[in-house]
Amino acid sequence: MADAKKHTGRAVVVLVGLVVLTAPFWMSGYPVYVLSLVGIFGLVAIGLNFLTGYAGQISLGHAGFFAIGAYTTALLTKKAGLPFVLSLPLAGVFATAVGAVAALPALRLKNLYLAIATLGFGVVVQKLLFEWQSLTGGGAGLEVPAPRLGPIVLSTAGHMYYLILAVVILGTWAALNIARTGSGRAMVMVRESEVAAGCLGISVAKYKVIAFSLSGFYTAIAGGLYCYLVRYINPESFNIHMSITFLSMIVIGGLGTIPGSLLGAVFYVLAPELFRGIKDAPGLVFGLSLVVVMVLMPKGLWGFVGRLWRRA
Amino acid sequence: MPCLEIRGLTVDFGGIHALKEVSLSARTGQIVGLIGPNGAGKSTLLNCISGLTRPTEGEGRLDGTDLFSLSPHAISRLGVGRVFQHPEIMADMTVMDNLLIARNRFLKYGVLAELLGLPQVRRQEAESRFAAEQVLMRIGLPDIGGIHAGSLPYGHRKLLEVGRSLLLGATVLLLDEPVAGLNEHEIDRMATLLAELRTGGGLAVILVEHNMGLVSRLCDEVVVLDIGKVIARGTPTEVLNDPAVLLAYLGEG
Repeated sequence: MADAKKHTGRAVVVLVGLVVLTAPFWMSGYPVYVLSLVGIFGLVAIGLNFLTGYAGQISLGHAGFFAIGAYTTALLTKKAGLPFVLSLPLAGVFATAVGAVAALPALRLKNLYLAIATLGFGVVVQKLLFEWQSLTGGGAGLEVPAPRLGPIVLSTAGHMYYLILAVVILGTWAALNIARTGSGRAMVMVRESEVAAGCLGISVAKYKVIAFSLSGFYTAIAGGLYCYLVRYINPESFNIHMSITFLSMIVIGGLGTIPGSLLGAVFYVLAPELFRGIKDAPGLVFGLSLVVVMVLMPKGLWGFVGRLWRRA
Repeated sequence: MPCLEIRGLTVDFGGIHALKEVSLSARTGQIVGLIGPNGAGKSTLLNCISGLTRPTEGEGRLDGTDLFSLSPHAISRLGVGRVFQHPEIMADMTVMDNLLIARNRFLKYGVLAELLGLPQVRRQEAESRFAAEQVLMRIGLPDIGGIHAGSLPYGHRKLLEVGRSLLLGATVLLLDEPVAGLNEHEIDRMATLLAELRTGGGLAVILVEHNMGLVSRLCDEVVVLDIGKVIARGTPTEVLNDPAVLLAYLGEG
């Protein structure tokens, strides 16, 4: 019985792995684009999950980090002519620094009060992008050149797909590393009890800053990939709706888990595609599906997978 | 030479004296009981030592280092362990993770090294795990490192908190009612552990407790607080027969 279970699990992993690795070879452009979006939002979900799922700090402003990543990458590519191997990490580093500053309100505020402060962060970033026209092009938006490295230009959907896949694999591996070691545990302790964390030698302020920075880093890298994928960005898209979408992803997928982050992104991007065929009411069905998932799976999709696995 | 020394500690909460000129000291190898009726200020005193409450006046030193100017994490990093009245554990993480959390002060790697899973991180993790296994044996709960802390019975959670302080490398242990809510068997287990820790050396313990049996059995010295003031101190026998103490506990008549 246990053997059969192990085989089934392995078969599922191998199958999913094969599909993911070979997708551009047998899928048409649109599904490959959709899968690329899953990867990008998966990175955002990992980043936001560090902040909210692990460290327990809510953010309603993560579209701000996503925008910072997208615009920094776009401008470094367009105006400085940097290859993507530099523009993406630099966007990540910049967002890490911004994250450290954005963490400051969290040293004083909690829960709903922090939610409003982070909401403000998102609004400020969006307004800055609108107003700073000489740099960002303002409301007219910004066209983004294809990512390049020397003579290599990633011009097709397939190229972008593999770049995103590589970053997602690297990002997931790094996230699992940190979740399992000192900082991952310290963030969880800060979430569980700041008082107890302090009495265990953990600087609450330090780990809040780390959580915001790390979260900003992942989200900005995702934003950078996004600008390369869509090749045109506009401040309008980085709005509160996007921030709430990010938050929904990690709750649906499973708070405080890395695989759950990815599952949340899969659900959030793929479910509306599946419901697209339903005449007149895809939005309605998708909205209801959120309610159903939360009611039936309080620990999110990953918690549900775990429960099925134990029961099988 | 006293390890922990508190002198003239006064805490005002909006004009009310929670503590008034309280002095207390604990040497390594000593268990000092801190008793008194509810509201006497026992937890406030522990909170001052932990850095959670800022004293209005007074001096607190650990081996000469001024405690009252430090933040909670800086104080715990000096080796002050705290066991809370209600166990503060990470319920959806393993017992092992709940122990390893106390190793934070010893970590010598940064976030970047963690992300990249560098060898030094893995080496330190392995060392910490080994230390945690030793602690699990010491608190009498070997082989439970892999289970979820949330599934532990209450008594085991309390033992786990003591173990966590040991892994912190505590030289001072502040225990806030460690046996409240435990059954006879669990109380006996906790008492045995605390007695062993005293003989093991290296630890000064402040024990806040209502269970007088445990206080008499373990404490070298007992300090009695009532409405923020020390009303008696001495050996358990002296203190528990002191008329002023009986009056504070039982009321007049």
